[in-house]
Amino acid sequence: MDQGNTAFVLISAALVLLMTPGLAFFYGGLVKAKSVVSMMMLSFGSLGLIAVLWVLYGYAIAFANEGPSTFLGIDGWFGIDTSFLGLEAQVADAADPAGAFPTMAFVAFQAAFAIITVALISGAIADRAKFGAWMVFAGIWATLVYFPVANWVFNFTLEDGKVVDGGWIVYDLGVIDFAGGTAVHINAGAAGLALAIVLGKRFGFSKGITQPHNVPLTLLGVALLWFGWFGFNAGSELAADGIASIAFINTLAAPAAAMLGWIIIEKIKHGKATSIGAGSGAIAGLVAITPACAVLDPIWGMALGLVAGALCALAIDLKFSLGFDDSLDVVGIHLVGGIVGTLWVGLFGNGVGAFFGYGFDQLGAQALGAVAVLVYSFVISLVVGLIIEKTMGFRVKAEDEIAGIDTVVHGEEAYAFGSDKG
Amino acid sequence: MEHQNTTFFLMICTAMVLFMTPGLAFFYGGLVRASSVVSMMMMSIGSLALITVLWVVFGYAISFGNAGSGSYLGIDGVFGIDLDKLLLQTELIGAKNGDGFPLSFAAFQGTFAIITVALISGAIADRAKFGAWLLFAAIWVTLVYAPIAGWVFNFTLEDGKIVDGGWLVYNVGLIDFAGGTVVEVASGASALALALVVGKRFGFTKGMYAPHNVPLVLIGTGILWFGWFGFNSGSELAADGVASIAFINTIAAPVGALLSWALFEKIRNGKPTSIGAASGVIAGLVAITPSCAALTPFWALVLGGVVGIACAAAIELKYVFGFDDSLDVVGIHGVAGIIGTLFIGLAGTDVGAFFGYGLDQLGKQAIGVLVIGGYAFIMSWLIGSLIQKTIGFRVTSTDEIAGVDLVQHGELAYDSSDPRWSWKG
Repeated sequence: MDQGNTAFVLISAALVLLMTPGLAFFYGGLVKAKSVVSMMMLSFGSLGLIAVLWVLYGYAIAFANEGPSTFLGIDGWFGIDTSFLGLEAQVADAADPAGAFPTMAFVAFQAAFAIITVALISGAIADRAKFGAWMVFAGIWATLVYFPVANWVFNFTLEDGKVVDGGWIVYDLGVIDFAGGTAVHINAGAAGLALAIVLGKRFGFSKGITQPHNVPLTLLGVALLWFGWFGFNAGSELAADGIASIAFINTLAAPAAAMLGWIIIEKIKHGKATSIGAGSGAIAGLVAITPACAVLDPIWGMALGLVAGALCALAIDLKFSLGFDDSLDVVGIHLVGGIVGTLWVGLFGNGVGAFFGYGFDQLGAQALGAVAVLVYSFVISLVVGLIIEKTMGFRVKAEDEIAGIDTVVHGEEAYAFGSDKG
Repeated sequence: MEHQNTTFFLMICTAMVLFMTPGLAFFYGGLVRASSVVSMMMMSIGSLALITVLWVVFGYAISFGNAGSGSYLGIDGVFGIDLDKLLLQTELIGAKNGDGFPLSFAAFQGTFAIITVALISGAIADRAKFGAWLLFAAIWVTLVYAPIAGWVFNFTLEDGKIVDGGWLVYNVGLIDFAGGTVVEVASGASALALALVVGKRFGFTKGMYAPHNVPLVLIGTGILWFGWFGFNSGSELAADGVASIAFINTIAAPVGALLSWALFEKIRNGKPTSIGAASGVIAGLVAITPSCAALTPFWALVLGGVVGIACAAAIELKYVFGFDDSLDVVGIHGVAGIIGTLFIGLAGTDVGAFFGYGLDQLGKQAIGVLVIGGYAFIMSWLIGSLIQKTIGFRVTSTDEIAGVDLVQHGELAYDSSDPRWSWKG
C-alpha cells in the first residue's frame, strides 16, 4: 500500500463529495426565492439516500465481477457480488490492503459520483416536484440505472495499460470515458429530459419565467463545483501521476474556454454577457472535459471548451422551441455537453482521434456508448417517472406551485429578512 | 525526507479542519436572525484568531507534554506542561532537521482546539458580548480544552497498543478516535453551562426566530462535512486502511442521520425541513467522530439512524427544562457525542457487547463521557459565572432587542435600506 496514493484518492473523494452541496447552491440560486429550500433539498436528499444505498448494495452492483462464487448475474451487464453487500469484503481489505490503496478509499470516491449524478437530474424539475416522490425516484433510478451503468463504464481491469476485462461499454465497445461523460452526464441529462416530460411545464412556462433569485449563491455553487471537479477528473486516474496532471490542467483549461465561448454567444445574441452565462459556461466546459480530460492536449481541451460553451449556450433555448420545461438546463448543459465531450475523444483524442489519422473507429465506439447510455437512461427514467406520477403523484398542486413550494413541502421560508429589520 | 506522504496527508487534513470553523460560522450565522449574524460569525472567527495564538504559545505544550524530559512540570497524564514545547520549539527543531510531521501534528491539533471553542458559541446566540466571549474562550481553552485533549489525544503507540499517555486513554482505556469526548461532549457540556449562566433570550419560546438565511446554513453544513473528512480520516495520522474506514463512515453516519431526522420530522410535523436535514448531517458527523475507526460502515449507518432521531427529539429539551441553548449545541453535540462514544462499547469491532465482548468497553466509554462532561460543565460554569459577575457576559436587553450586531460590532449584515433589496420572489 502506498500512503501517497491513498491520500490522493481520499482527498479526491472529499472534493467530489463537496460538489453535491455545491450543486445545491448552483441550482438553489437559479430558482425563485420561494423554491430555493426545495431545490437544495433535492440535492441534499439525494446525498442522504444514495450514500445509504451505495453502502448497502450499490457498490456491490456497480463493481461486481464474474469469478468469485458470490457473483450473481451477467458479467459486464447486470450483476451483484453478495460479498460486497454492506461493504464486508472492503472492510476486510482495509485491515491489510492488497492494492496500492485500500479498496474502501475507492468505494468512498465512487460513492460521491453516484450521489452527484442523481442530484444533477433534479435541475429538470425545479419549482414543482414533491420531495417524497423525488426520493422514491432517486432510489429506484440509482438502483436500476446508475449502479448498472457505472458498472458498464467504470468497472474494468487494467493490465499493462490495456482494459482486459470489465463492463460492456468500456471493455467490449472500447469507449473511452475517463471520468464519466456517459455514466454521469449523459445519464443524468437523459433522465432530466424524461422527468421534464413526465412532470410537464411549470405554470406560465415561457422564456424568462423566473430570474435567478440569488446570483452570488449560484456563483458560489459554480466555484465549489469547479473546485470539487479537480478531484472528480484528476482523481479518476486513482494515482497522482502524469495522467492526473493532464486531467487537472484540462479541468482548468476547458471550463475557462467554455466560459468565454458562452459569453461571446450571449454578447452576440443579446448584447450583454451575464454572470449566470459565465457560470453556466464553466459548468458546460467541466461537463465536456469529463470524459476527455486524460486524452486531450490542453490546446484541444480548450478547443473543446470553446465549442461546448457555445453549443450549450445555444442548446438551452431548445426547451422553449420544443416545449419541455428542463428548468435549470440539465439537458442543455449536461446532456449536450456530455455528448460533445464524449464524441470529441473520437476526433481529437491522443492516439485514437480521427483528426490525427487514426480513422473513425473510436468516434463510432464513442457514439455507440453515448447513445446506449442515453437511450437506456431515458427509457427507464420515463417509465419510473410515469409510474410515480400515476401512483403517488410527482408534482405539487398548481396552487401550491404558484404560492411557492418551500412552505408547502418543507414548511420553511429560505429568508427571514422582512420580519426582522436588522 | 522521511514519511513525506504521511506529512502531506496530515497537512491537507489540517487545512480541511481549519476550514470547518468558517463553515461553523456560516452554519450558526444562517440560523440566527438577520440582526445577529455578524456577532454570531465573529464568535467563531474570534476563536479562530485567539485560540490559534494561545495554541502556538502554550496550548500544545500543555496538551502534548509528557513526563520524562527534564523540562516537564506537573502530573504526567493529568495536568502538566512541557516547557520545551512552548512556542512549538521541539517541533520546530524537528522540522528544520527535515521531519515536518511533528510540527504538522501540532497544527492539526490546533485546528481541533479552535473548532471546539467555536462550537460552544452556539449556546449564547443573539446576546453575548464579544469581549466577554473572547475572555471566556481564552480561559476555557487553557483550563479545560488543553488538559482534556492531553487525557485523550496524547498517547504513545507500540505495535498498535497504547503504552503511555493521558489517563483516560491509557489508564481507563477509552476509545475516542477523533474527539467525541474532547470535542463534542466537552463543547456540549460547556454550552449547557453557558446557556444557564447567560440566561434566556428576551421572549424565549419555541419558534421565536426563524433562521434568517437557510442557504447560508446549508453552505456551512457543506463546508463542515468536507472538513470533517480531514477531522476523522486525518486522526489516523496516516493515509491507510483505517483512514479509509474512517472516511467511508464519515459519509455513512451523517447520511443515516439526515434521513432519520427528516423522517422523524415528517412523522411528527408532516414536513421534512432543510434545517432538519442539515442538523441531521451534523448530528451524524458528531456521533461518528469517536467511533469512525471502530465501526463497520453498516453499523455507522445504524448509529447515524439512531442519533438522527435522538437529537431531533433532544433539541426540544431546552423548552421543557427552560435553558436557552439557542442553536442546539447541547442537543446535537452533547447528545450525539455521548451516543457516539457509548456506541463503541456496543457495536465496536473487537470490543462491542453486541459481538460478545461483554460490557467492559461500554463502562470505559461511560467513564470517559462522565469525566469529560462533568469537568467541562463545572469549569465552564465557574468561568462563565466569574465573567458574568465581573465584566458581564450579556448585552443589555434593549441592545438585545435592537440587535447585537450594531451594538457590538457597528455593522449591519445586510443593507436592507435599499428598496431594491427584496427576497420575496
